[in-house]
Amino acid sequence: MINLAQKDISHTFGKFIVTAMGVGMLFGVVLLMIGVYRGMVVEAQGLLKDMDVDIWVVQENTLGPFAESSRVHEDLKDTLRVIKGVDKASAITFQNIQIPLKNRQVRAFAVGYNPYEDISPLNLDRLVSGRDLQKSHYEMVADDKSGLKLHDKVKLGRNIYAVVGITHGAVSSSGDPLVFLSLKDAQELQFLYSNSRIRNDRDRGIVTGASHMVNAIVLTLHNGYSADEISSEIKRFKHKSVYTNKQQESILTKNLVERSSKQIGLFTAILVIVSTIIIALIIYTMTLEKMKEIAIMKLIGIPNSLIVKMIVQETLILGILAFIFGNIFAHLVYSNFPKKVVLLNPDAFVLLVVIVIASILSSFVGVKKVISADPASAIGG
Amino acid sequence: MSNQSIKVENLVKRFGKGDNLVSILEGGDFRVDKGELVALVAPSGAGKTTLLMMIGCVEEPTSGKIWLGDEKVYDNKWLTKETRKIRREKIGFIFQAHYLIPFLTILENVTLVSQVNGISKQQAEKEAMELLEYFDIADKAHVKPSQLSGGQNQRVAIARALANKPQIILADEPTAALDSARSVAVVKMLKRIAIDQNVAVIMVTHDDAMLPLCDRILKIEDKKVKNKYI
Repeated sequence: MINLAQKDISHTFGKFIVTAMGVGMLFGVVLLMIGVYRGMVVEAQGLLKDMDVDIWVVQENTLGPFAESSRVHEDLKDTLRVIKGVDKASAITFQNIQIPLKNRQVRAFAVGYNPYEDISPLNLDRLVSGRDLQKSHYEMVADDKSGLKLHDKVKLGRNIYAVVGITHGAVSSSGDPLVFLSLKDAQELQFLYSNSRIRNDRDRGIVTGASHMVNAIVLTLHNGYSADEISSEIKRFKHKSVYTNKQQESILTKNLVERSSKQIGLFTAILVIVSTIIIALIIYTMTLEKMKEIAIMKLIGIPNSLIVKMIVQETLILGILAFIFGNIFAHLVYSNFPKKVVLLNPDAFVLLVVIVIASILSSFVGVKKVISADPASAIGG
Repeated sequence: MSNQSIKVENLVKRFGKGDNLVSILEGGDFRVDKGELVALVAPSGAGKTTLLMMIGCVEEPTSGKIWLGDEKVYDNKWLTKETRKIRREKIGFIFQAHYLIPFLTILENVTLVSQVNGISKQQAEKEAMELLEYFDIADKAHVKPSQLSGGQNQRVAIARALANKPQIILADEPTAALDSARSVAVVKMLKRIAIDQNVAVIMVTHDDAMLPLCDRILKIEDKKVKNKYI
């Protein structure tokens, strides 16, 4: 049996391909939107995965440094370290900073840690040049996204820091480049006031607090010990909020990325609806262009099913071709986005299923036109 | 088995209702036999095409009776829901313009209806090629209609009308777009088909020069179909 859809498409091949490319770009944008969300999740969890700890101990009744302000004493790590089952304990600070870079300020997320302890938030696999921190003061490892170069000198607060290492792909949950400082430097930046502020506080009778505060204590456990059980124990006896790594991941993705995901999800849904309407309009126009031929076919006795099959097949082929072009487009441009975009095959597969359903729905307008076509309109006179 | 191909009794066609009622045909009784080429003539707007469409099971009459071959298809109502199947199996249509499907090749245009009727692709193509050879256009079998002249396309359209081995051919001004020499050739071709294929051909025409080539004339006068013999 003659495949009418194939014949019609090959007859207007160039026009069909250009149309599919146009719709494909829309689908490409849909894929990129999903990729932006995936990228946000990957970036949000990047630091957590790099640290690879089992438990986070933070200020009581807070969700931890990624969600809200948290302060605990640095020496808490020493009391946690001796709990049965705890292998290592380290103090960590996190804060947003602005790095002066020539004529502009670069927003970065500073992570302070003790370079002499075993838990390091700096994943050495990400280090592309230079080295890890090896001194307690005035060294910095920065991500290449910050624009800093190896051996650059940066003034932060009262001090000047030398960039001793450059990483790639180390970003915060909000996509800002990570900057690694020694714990002492990070504490000074975060907690130590300027001399004038200290003098002013003294005159007011305020005792300036110690800078030996950190934002969280992170723990790793010996094999065979349950993170949930040790978390409960710390919560009960130390009056702190304690989260396992999984809970911290959940806080990051649910509390921080959820709203963005809803925004992106809504935008993606609108794009899919717009694409469906555009496909429907294209199919409607293509059907209108063929109304004379359709009337002739109906007049000479071609059953509706064969004509409807042609319309549905053309719509599906248009949708699938647009999906292929969309994929190509998305893969060509995704690396140029300022934030991480992650294109996953399962997402593409889901989009393909949505496109197939949307194409079938879109074809209804053409099918309706075919069914209502009057065969008598083929005859003049 | 009778020689009758088309029989029409007291055919009436009216459009609209009440004050908007327009009467097109108020009684038509005629018969066309196999092997006959009959011209259908009338002034513009007199209902030639409407009559053709009623015989072709496209337009439903208001009342009357229609037989196609020995089968009564209309008796104040369609006697079958499958009017499209009747068209596909019993009737071949030829139009003023060729109205070939532009995205199909000549061969595909001719074989389409046969394939829908369940004939295998090989058999349909074999028969289509015989028809195209009959019309001296077999060498163009694999090109698209846009690559042929108007006259060549009209021959293809006639071949398509014959491909389903119809009992009846309904031709709506098939020569209107052709010059006089080609018009004569087409009408002679239709006459030859009527005899060779043993089918009844009704041809709507405005061209009086074509009438002597036909066996008989049906004329719509005073909203009635009248037999005129040449």
